[in-house]
Amino acid sequence: MTTLSGQPLSEAIGYSFSNANSAPHREHSFYPYTDNGGSTLGITGSDFAILAGDTRSVAGYNINSRYVPKVFKIGGDDETGDGAHIVLSVVGFAADGQALKERLDAVVKMYKYQHGKPMSVRACAQRLSTILYQKRFFPYYVHAILAGLDEEGKGALYSYDPVGSYEREQCRAAGSAASLIMPFLDNQVNFKNQYIPGSGEGHALEPKKAEPLPRETVERLVRDAFTSAVERHIEVGDGLQMMVITRSGVEEIYYPLKKD
Amino acid sequence: MTGFDFSNYNRNAALHAKGVPLPKATSTGTTIVGCIYDNGVVIAADTRATSGPIVADKNCEKLHYIAPKIWCAGAGTAADTEFTTALISSNIELHALSTGRPPRVITCMTMLKQHLFRYQGHIGAYLVVAGVDPTGIGLFTVHAHGSTDKLPYVTMGSGSLAAMSVFESMWKPNLDRDGAVALCAEAIKAGIFNDLGSGSNVDVCVIEKDKPTQLLRNYIKPNERGEKERNYRFPRGTTAYLNQKIISKEDMRKYVSVEEASGDPNLMEVDM
Amino acid sequence: MVGHGMTGMLGEDGIHVDMNHLKKGEVNLGTSIMAINFQGGVILGADSRTTTGAYIANRVTDKLTQVHDTIWCCRSGSAADTQAVADIVSYHLNMYSIVNNEAPSTQVAAALFQELCYENKDMLSAGIIIAGYDPKHGGQVYSIPLGGSLHKQPYSIGGSGSTYIYGYCDTHWRENMTEQEGIDFVRGALSEAIKWDGSSGGVIRLVVLTSQGAQRHLYLPDTGYTGPGVTN
Repeated sequence: MTTLSGQPLSEAIGYSFSNANSAPHREHSFYPYTDNGGSTLGITGSDFAILAGDTRSVAGYNINSRYVPKVFKIGGDDETGDGAHIVLSVVGFAADGQALKERLDAVVKMYKYQHGKPMSVRACAQRLSTILYQKRFFPYYVHAILAGLDEEGKGALYSYDPVGSYEREQCRAAGSAASLIMPFLDNQVNFKNQYIPGSGEGHALEPKKAEPLPRETVERLVRDAFTSAVERHIEVGDGLQMMVITRSGVEEIYYPLKKD
Repeated sequence: MTGFDFSNYNRNAALHAKGVPLPKATSTGTTIVGCIYDNGVVIAADTRATSGPIVADKNCEKLHYIAPKIWCAGAGTAADTEFTTALISSNIELHALSTGRPPRVITCMTMLKQHLFRYQGHIGAYLVVAGVDPTGIGLFTVHAHGSTDKLPYVTMGSGSLAAMSVFESMWKPNLDRDGAVALCAEAIKAGIFNDLGSGSNVDVCVIEKDKPTQLLRNYIKPNERGEKERNYRFPRGTTAYLNQKIISKEDMRKYVSVEEASGDPNLMEVDM
Repeated sequence: MVGHGMTGMLGEDGIHVDMNHLKKGEVNLGTSIMAINFQGGVILGADSRTTTGAYIANRVTDKLTQVHDTIWCCRSGSAADTQAVADIVSYHLNMYSIVNNEAPSTQVAAALFQELCYENKDMLSAGIIIAGYDPKHGGQVYSIPLGGSLHKQPYSIGGSGSTYIYGYCDTHWRENMTEQEGIDFVRGALSEAIKWDGSSGGVIRLVVLTSQGAQRHLYLPDTGYTGPGVTN
């Protein structure tokens, strides 16, 4: 094969005059994101919603802290969070998560001052989507989940991608161990791949119907999901923070996890 | 050394150039340590093996046998530490047979460093070599590129910094056996709790003059798995199937020998 | 690029090979080393720090390596490379003394080091100083920097810390110092190198090579590098 162009074959011996004395071009740029690991999980019931997250914050193989909350009360008292009826969980880049939570908290408070009534979860969910999309080309590097009770008093759960696409769901796991927890939830909350024994042959077999679970069951499922994730994911551990939203307010529960 | 098979090199290089990622090796992001004392040497390791952020094995063995009184703790690529120590163990045994003398730690260390240097760091084995031989007590580290160090206390792996902080603050000269074991276990625990690449249990190996080597598997278990709150046993018939075929024990006996197992045959172990 | 074997850059003035590379995670002897001639022989000196990136892998390293009775070397660069080279030279000098029933001269040792460093320059990052005493030539100091060239010198300094002590050595160096003057010179220079170079540190090790054989010295940072001195 003959080549007449000046460009030598890249497969030939790797000496060339064209890039003499020049080290391979290296691009220097500022990358402002860090993955702080961890996982969050939300499940709704008929009259409650639970949002949970582990409390470990990591950077590489290091632990930044064994207690950095990922679940926040929104629109409540600054110190105690009292009076809040909406809960937000953020996992991914902790600094962006913090900023996002502050933004939403301010928005929900301003809404109450301006309209004289608390913001509905549906409105808050739509507003959060807008906040995320406003930073479409410099996103908040987080996977957010919003929870509360809807207008009918039923548990409401909204999950988001980093740029604001959102959806109301029954349950959702996010963060580094989402791929471990989500299939477990599909099976145990929505009873996916479970059929009623003896209800038919082959394709006629009747799937097990999903129905809202009682609070006690959901709390146990959440704890089991996290104790299992801790076993197999190195970024999950130290502590489990659970927020239970009911008609009477938001209850916070802390549960220790393995620290290795 | 029989050598490696490079027959897929060109194909893999072409795939890699087209953007296919390299397969993920099980890495023992690890804490391993060693410490000499007045009458012998102790090495210890954690038992977590990882593949990226996922725990591949919760209770793996990182303490490798070389000779009855020479043992090795391995960090880095799991396969490399296992095969390299197995190879050197084999050669050391042949060497001991041909010389008629007990093998020496320095011989083992030299064989390891020469093997690893030849492969210019591509064999990702980071080792702590320890043992007792007629010349005395030996403790070395061997890095993947082939460099070695000789020290009274050593640490390696991703948890080496956490472990070394324990040694640098608590080590003192003239330790006894129990003191050395306790110090090594404490150093591994520092790695287990502060390094994400390390976790689960502590394995310890004590090699002492005029005594058989003691491998203390799971010497400390500080991370026992908690009880599950719910029961995840499914009623029989939960899983859908389109057709079934039953092979009886009588059918199987035509091809293999079948033995009756003890216990309730209807119970299956459920590990959740 | 999938090219085979030969990769590198051709400049207008010849081949440029980047030898200052260290493979990721390789153990580095970011070092201060030196060797000098004095009245009765030679003195080798080195700090004791070995690093992997920012981590000190060994704070009491012995970078002064014996390759024959009174021929020693100071190692800088990659720990693996310099250990391998020193081991090979040590083997050849051992064979030499058996075959010829006579100790090798320092020059022979230096030539062996050069052969290995020059012929394998594209694979090695090793900066080595060889110093030895033999009855015929007395004390001699040779230096082999990165490319594999060989230089006989009255004294030689090397490693990353050496850049800080060119001035010190230039003003304080004298021919034909006494043993104590020589020790003070090396100790003074290395403590300055350790002070200013972040990649150097720990203790100062010396080896004094005379007709009496090899004598080791150790100087600790807790005493301001003043003692304990002779250790064997």
